[in-house]
Amino acid sequence: MKITKLFDKGKFVVTGEVGPIKGAVSRDWRVSPSCAQEAWHLQDHVHAVNVTDNQSAVMRLGSLAASVGLKQRGIEPIYQLTCRDRNRIALQSDLLTAYSLGIDNVLLLTGDHIQLGDHKEAKPVFDLDSVQLLAMARGLSQGHDITGNAIENPPDMAYGAVVNPNFVPLDLQLLKMRKKIDAGAEFFQSQAVYDDRVVDEFVEKATGFGRPVQMGVVVLKSPQMGAFMNNNVSGITVPDEWIDEIGSVDKSDRKKKAAEMMGRFIKKHKDKFQGVHIMPLGWTDIVPSILEKAEIDTTA
Amino acid sequence: MHATIQKPIDEIVSFIRPGEKVFVVGCNNCAWKCHSGGEEETAAMADRLKKRGVEVVGHTVPGPQGMSLCKLDHTRKVLQEDYGEQVAGADSFLVLGCGQGVHTVIDATDGGMVHPGCDTIFGGETVSESDIEEYCSLCGECVIEYTGGLCPMTLCSKQLLNGPCGGAERGMCEVDKERPCGWVLIYERLQKLGRLELLDPFQKPKNHAKWSRPRTLKVSPHEATFCSQAGKVTVSNRD
Repeated sequence: MKITKLFDKGKFVVTGEVGPIKGAVSRDWRVSPSCAQEAWHLQDHVHAVNVTDNQSAVMRLGSLAASVGLKQRGIEPIYQLTCRDRNRIALQSDLLTAYSLGIDNVLLLTGDHIQLGDHKEAKPVFDLDSVQLLAMARGLSQGHDITGNAIENPPDMAYGAVVNPNFVPLDLQLLKMRKKIDAGAEFFQSQAVYDDRVVDEFVEKATGFGRPVQMGVVVLKSPQMGAFMNNNVSGITVPDEWIDEIGSVDKSDRKKKAAEMMGRFIKKHKDKFQGVHIMPLGWTDIVPSILEKAEIDTTA
Repeated sequence: MHATIQKPIDEIVSFIRPGEKVFVVGCNNCAWKCHSGGEEETAAMADRLKKRGVEVVGHTVPGPQGMSLCKLDHTRKVLQEDYGEQVAGADSFLVLGCGQGVHTVIDATDGGMVHPGCDTIFGGETVSESDIEEYCSLCGECVIEYTGGLCPMTLCSKQLLNGPCGGAERGMCEVDKERPCGWVLIYERLQKLGRLELLDPFQKPKNHAKWSRPRTLKVSPHEATFCSQAGKVTVSNRD
């Protein structure tokens, strides 16, 4: 099901995220990959689950294979597709393949640079940027490829995009967001935010853009992770007070604390957005608790 | 200019077979500016090779300072006439210049054996005597009219044409925190110029056929023809 239908109905859309495994799926159907096990924690609690595309440029199982795997298990996937590793032929072909395999939602991104990952000597592709990718995807929906050639049975999927509220200068990021909307973005998921002021400045400026936005949150698991993200994860800043708070409890209590902190933050800001995108980085089991603390009921 | 950097001496020596007679050729323009193949470096290379047991039959940097090795007619005259005897006795040519210079030596010696003495790294601006910086990727389809003259194909790590990715932090690129985000540079420049509206239009994907290899340019005083996989484009420089 396209998640845009939920936005259209005025639902507060909750999505989670899993990263495909570094390896292949077992031929023994009784053995589920860890990403599927993570996704099961999310089932019945979120509307859809993002499946990342070689995230942080680390080579893994393909996002399409993992997305189809979730779909077969009754979990609605949002297939992430990046420009980093594919030229325009491969991007279009993968979009047609995704639709043909039953995918309804796609998140179209630039992709982290190869230098951030584990194959630093690979050739970066970036044949298109994310705005051009969105325009090309819309073209496929309208029945033609990027060169104008007609295609059979055009795909009908919901196309989402990302925006980073932490970006400075924000107006430059919003210029790109506007271009993404003009190119066909139907919904947005934001990069992880932790700072109230960042949220409020973004919401104030992006209100009126006319597309639903899900606030992005990354579950902060430890003070070390906060420091790591500040030093190594592009586009995310974790304030000291977050790092101090998660560090204030013993390791054994961190899941509980993280759920409390994330729930509190989401509750505070949820009315400013049309949904929330929770990136649990493996701690999918605490997502139900986060939602409970945020007073969000996805079954309603 | 074509920026070059000398290959490590051990790698250069490994190219040369026992008993091979080598003639060293430098370039008095770009490689001179890069200290990779000017007069001093070429003479020094001849000595360094001799010290390592290589038989060097001669060396030269064709032309005065500012003269490029890649000017074929001049290089041919210097190698075939001025240094004809030594060149005739050479089994191979070690070229301290860019890849264009290496090919020029092939042409100038009617197909002589060549060894590259340098890695050709980029086309750059000579910002100062000690700093050469890359501002153009030679893509064949210039887009800098709408970016205030700053090239996103070069200054943006992902070569994005419609604005920045989300990866920059505090204005620095996600790939290298010591280097500014190219799109922040473009934005700040256009803001200063009062021309931010230039960023509004959708920029279509690049025509990579214009960035195909190899490309040629046929020139005459009033006309030039650029030939790539995108086809031939002829432009006149007069009304």
